[in-house]
Amino acid sequence: MGIPYVPVLGLAGSDVAARRSDFTIAPNPFNPEEKFVVAKAINPDVAIFHCAKADRAGNVLTRKKGNEMLLAQASRKVIVTAEEIVDKLSLDDAPGRFMPGVHVTAVVRAPFGAYPTEATGYYDEDEEQILEYVKASDSDEAFSRYLDKNVFAFDSHDAYLESRRLSPARVAAAL
Amino acid sequence: MTQIPECTMEELLAVLISREVKDFEMSACGALSFIPAAGMLLASHTHAPHAEIIIQGSKEYFPFVGGPDWHNMASRGQMDLFFIGAIEIDRHANFNLHVIGDRDHPDVLMPGLYGSGLLYYTVPRIIFFRTEHTRRFLVEKVQFISAAGSAPEGVPRRNREVKIITPRAILRRNEETRFLELESVHPGHTLKEVLDNTGFDLGVKGKVPETSPVTADELHVLRTAVKKHMIETETYPELARTRIMVD
Repeated sequence: MGIPYVPVLGLAGSDVAARRSDFTIAPNPFNPEEKFVVAKAINPDVAIFHCAKADRAGNVLTRKKGNEMLLAQASRKVIVTAEEIVDKLSLDDAPGRFMPGVHVTAVVRAPFGAYPTEATGYYDEDEEQILEYVKASDSDEAFSRYLDKNVFAFDSHDAYLESRRLSPARVAAAL
Repeated sequence: MTQIPECTMEELLAVLISREVKDFEMSACGALSFIPAAGMLLASHTHAPHAEIIIQGSKEYFPFVGGPDWHNMASRGQMDLFFIGAIEIDRHANFNLHVIGDRDHPDVLMPGLYGSGLLYYTVPRIIFFRTEHTRRFLVEKVQFISAAGSAPEGVPRRNREVKIITPRAILRRNEETRFLELESVHPGHTLKEVLDNTGFDLGVKGKVPETSPVTADELHVLRTAVKKHMIETETYPELARTRIMVD
C-alpha cells in the first residue's frame, strides 16, 4: 500500500508494544483527544514464499487462505518458489488464489519447497521432522547440529530430498 | 438443601461459562478452547438458541476465511464476548500468554499471539478460563504483560467487563478501582481456600456469595445433546468423548 503506518486497536500498555521500536502511541489526527497504538509499515527488501504453481509470466497460484498478497505488495522484490511451473495460469484456475505476475520478480521451480511443512494437494506435513525441528530450537547448539544434519550435509536440495526418500518421481509413483 | 450433582472440573467450568453467553449476541473462542466451546454450545442448547457462536478451528462454527477477518469484525464492535486462557493474571487484570521467566532468557516461551491483546480492547466482555486456581496463575504481578488490564490515559477501549472463571471461584474486575475482586465462591469450596490459593488481595469485605450450583438440568443437556453435537460436528470430539461424562 505504501502508507507509512497503520493504527492498531489494542496492545496499548502491553510489553508486546513496549518491546517494539516500530510501535508507538500517537493522537488520532481527526480527534486529538484520542490516542492509538500505531505500527510502522514493514517493507521487506525481499519476500520469499512457496506456492503450488507458477507460470512463465510470473503469475502464481498461492494458498487460498494465506496472506501472500499482502506480503508481496509490501516488499520491493518477490521471489516465489513453486511445486510446478506451468505454461499459463489465469484467475479462473483452481484451487488456490491467483496472484498476477506484475507483483512477482522471479519464480523458481522447487518441488517439496515447503517440506517438512505441507503443500496442500501435494504432500502433508512431516510431523516427525517438525518435532525434531522444535526440539532443536531449544538451544543454539542443538539448532546448529540440526542445520549440520539437515542442511549443510547436502550439496543440493535434491540430494536432501533423496536422503529423505522424497522425490517428485517417487511420490508420483506412489500416488 | 437440594442435592448438588457431581461433575468433573471441565463440566463445572463449561456450565459456568454457558451462563455468561447471551442470546442474540456473538460469542467466540480461539484455539485450544474446548471448555468455552462446550460452554457456548450448552448455552445455545438452553437459554441462548439465537447466539452467534464462533469456535476457531471448527468447520461448523468458524465462518471466516482468515485471521484478519474476525479481528476486523471485533474491531468494528460486532463481537460481544471472547474467552481467553492465560498462563498468569495479576490483580490489575494484566495477563501473560507469552513467557515464563525472563523474556530475553525464557524458561518457557509460548506461541502467544497478538490476537488476544487486540481483542482485550475491542470486545466488550472478556472471560478468562483456567483449569486451576493457584498462586502460580493468579499472581501479584505478571512476568510479561501480553495485554494490559487498563488502557493508558487517552486510549479508547471498548472492553467494559472482565471475569475469571476457575475451578474454585469467579473473579471480576471492579470497573472503578480496576482491581480484580472476588465475585463468588463455588459450592464445596471455602473463602479461606480461595484466598490461600490467590497470589493477590481480592478486596474481600464481608460475606462473599456462593456461586449458583450446577443444576441437574444443565448437566443433563451438556452430557447428552451438547456432547453428541460436539462429536457429530467434530468440535473437539475427543475431549467431548472423554471429558464430558455419561448422564
